[in-house]
Amino acid sequence: MSEQLPAFIIVAPLIGACLIFIAGFTRRGLCYPLAMVSMVVALGSSIGVLHQVLVDGPLIYKLGGWDPPWGIVYNVDALNALVLAVVAAVALVNLVASRQFIDAQPFYRIGAFYALYILAVTGLMGMVITGDVFNLYVLLEIASLTGYALVAMGDDRAPLSALNYVLVGTIGASFYLLGVGFLYAMTGSLNMVDIAQRLPGLYGSTAVFAAFVMIMVGIWFKAAFFPLHSWLPNAYTYAPPPSAGLLAPLMTKVMIYVMIRMMLTVFTPAYSFSFGLLNQVVVWLAVIAIVAGAIMALAAKDFKRLLAYIIVSEVGYMVGGAWLGNRLGMTGSMLHLVNDAAMTLCVFLAAAALSFRLKDTKLTSFQGLFKTMPFTMGALVIGGLSIIGVPPTCGFFSKWYLISAGIQAGAWGYIAALLFSSLVNLILFFKIFEIAYFEPFSAHGHGHDNGGHGQVSALAVREAPAQVVVPLVVTAIGLVVLGLYSKELVAGVIDLGLPLGLK
Amino acid sequence: MKKLALILVLLCWGFLAFAAADFPRLGDPNSPASTHLSPYFIEKAYEDTATPNIVTAVLADYRSYDTMFETTVVFAAGVACFLLLRFYHFSEPPSHLYRHKPSGTVIQVPRGYRLKGEHTELEPIDRDWAPKDPIVEVASRILIPFIQIFALYVVVHGHHSPGGGFQGGVILGASLVLLAISRDLRTAQATLGESKNSILSALGVLIYVGVGAVTLALGSNFLDYAALAGLMGVDQVIARNLGILFVEVGVAVAVMATMFLIYRNVASAGALDEGL
Repeated sequence: MSEQLPAFIIVAPLIGACLIFIAGFTRRGLCYPLAMVSMVVALGSSIGVLHQVLVDGPLIYKLGGWDPPWGIVYNVDALNALVLAVVAAVALVNLVASRQFIDAQPFYRIGAFYALYILAVTGLMGMVITGDVFNLYVLLEIASLTGYALVAMGDDRAPLSALNYVLVGTIGASFYLLGVGFLYAMTGSLNMVDIAQRLPGLYGSTAVFAAFVMIMVGIWFKAAFFPLHSWLPNAYTYAPPPSAGLLAPLMTKVMIYVMIRMMLTVFTPAYSFSFGLLNQVVVWLAVIAIVAGAIMALAAKDFKRLLAYIIVSEVGYMVGGAWLGNRLGMTGSMLHLVNDAAMTLCVFLAAAALSFRLKDTKLTSFQGLFKTMPFTMGALVIGGLSIIGVPPTCGFFSKWYLISAGIQAGAWGYIAALLFSSLVNLILFFKIFEIAYFEPFSAHGHGHDNGGHGQVSALAVREAPAQVVVPLVVTAIGLVVLGLYSKELVAGVIDLGLPLGLK
Repeated sequence: MKKLALILVLLCWGFLAFAAADFPRLGDPNSPASTHLSPYFIEKAYEDTATPNIVTAVLADYRSYDTMFETTVVFAAGVACFLLLRFYHFSEPPSHLYRHKPSGTVIQVPRGYRLKGEHTELEPIDRDWAPKDPIVEVASRILIPFIQIFALYVVVHGHHSPGGGFQGGVILGASLVLLAISRDLRTAQATLGESKNSILSALGVLIYVGVGAVTLALGSNFLDYAALAGLMGVDQVIARNLGILFVEVGVAVAVMATMFLIYRNVASAGALDEGL
């Protein structure tokens, strides 16, 4: 039984999604419970697999019973088992928070929404667990296709942003697929481990180099690595809260994991870090991404757009960390991936909670929110502190690893960019806190206030529904817990997953 | 900006051309693609699965897991179209259109003034209504059954010849679309209702995953068709052969239903009243 556990991670949500769509036409009340059950099974099996991997070492699951180079296998090591658990946990927490919103939708959309939601999670987890480069592409298609639809179901400019996402995302996927085609032409294999074994003789080949570059560029499109990020800000700003809460924390992070997987498992560090110039160029691109994301976030007037640009910055952190070429950087990148998924979930859940009580998410609408929505704002403070990087929240620890790695690699530009972006995040979040805490100013001395409405004391608590606030508060507490257990996470999980050769 | 884009495209082209110089020659029997995995498939596929069509054996058995998700991609596209396009009329539209059959004149009646049954020469139509062509209608009526029989042949003959679930499913779906085009969407709706259609598209994927789930329940790995041998009283090779057939049927159902689901939503902009 336990050796079949990896299959459940993918099969349970897949079956769940089909049943949900059927239930949408026959027994609508079953949609949400089915979605919950499939996510709980997926999370439970992910944690089970993580436990197995930590105890017994990396495992291989042969789909269809065929041996690796011929059939498709799951290769699970400590790194992707960890990412699987994170994806399942984030998706589950966000699913709980989504219900309130989805119930308000027209009834015929309910089944289709939950089906797509669960399919998107299936795609994301499938990409993480698979040991086959083409299978990864197929699941990337599922995750993207469902992602486009989840974004497009929003109002206002969401369909247009989704169209932009479709076009850019498809270009990215084509790059990845072309790279896989090149690899297949050169090695004759699609299995990750098999490719890694056949590559050393081909290290000088220009076609393999082209495959490497194209796979990376394709992944960067999907991960919104500046300047390939153009789809992200609009998509995440206009996406409805449940979709934004699923995609914003997971899509870019899973793609970063895929990048790390390609660098470590397929091309191996010996090849990935053998081009001194390429490494430096990518780290400098990451520097530009971090700075550009920070500056664009400063210019944002809308809360969700601000968060979207912070994601662009964070992607720069992780790509830069992974490309520093040392063990510390890779560790920091992986730790930041986990932390950033949790942090982004926290702030996007806060945005979802706010959208229940505010008509828009413009920063100027935040006046008096500490009085009216204390729990939401409390969680947002923790999320903000974590993104800034204040201990003991988790954001501090991963940033610490990244900066140490930068020092070890002598990448001063990268360190400067990290510090700059932390300062900008400080300004961004304290700007929000200031508006929410101090405004509206009391009527005395401010002639423009219209009577008693300006009185701070007149504001009553109007918190978002508990179904949204509870997951939000849990996530915020999770940020601190993740921070306190960072050391265990690094030593007990991430370090086991990194190849020994990576110094 | 356009010049910049052109320069970028040219640079990419140059990069690819530079890389392609390293490729094995087209059709080279000693290329890695021909020497690494292919010999095993060519030599063993028939022994393992009793399926003469190696392509089918690879995609529906050795790499069956991939194909399951290809089917899921199709299903996801159908669900996405449904989610984004479908809407129900909860209120009466601002006006109704009626067509006077003898003269072909279309009249518009504002909301609240619905014409009732006594006007037998008036038929209610929608904005997208198009005149029917009797030649097309009769020709399609003759064609559709043959198209569907051919589709079933393509599905079950995938083991021996080019074909299989995707191709057969597309042909089946096309026959339904042809019905909707040659008559109208309301006729097609009566043939295959919306909920039945949607349930079928999910059911197709469920058949595929279900085969895998049965093998899991029998204690083997997911999608290891050999496990079905005991259940069906055949040896493992035949069990794999039949397993391929089962999943092909699932693929065909999913593809057919999803194609029509997408068509009906796209053609009528989600209203399902009248399409092309």
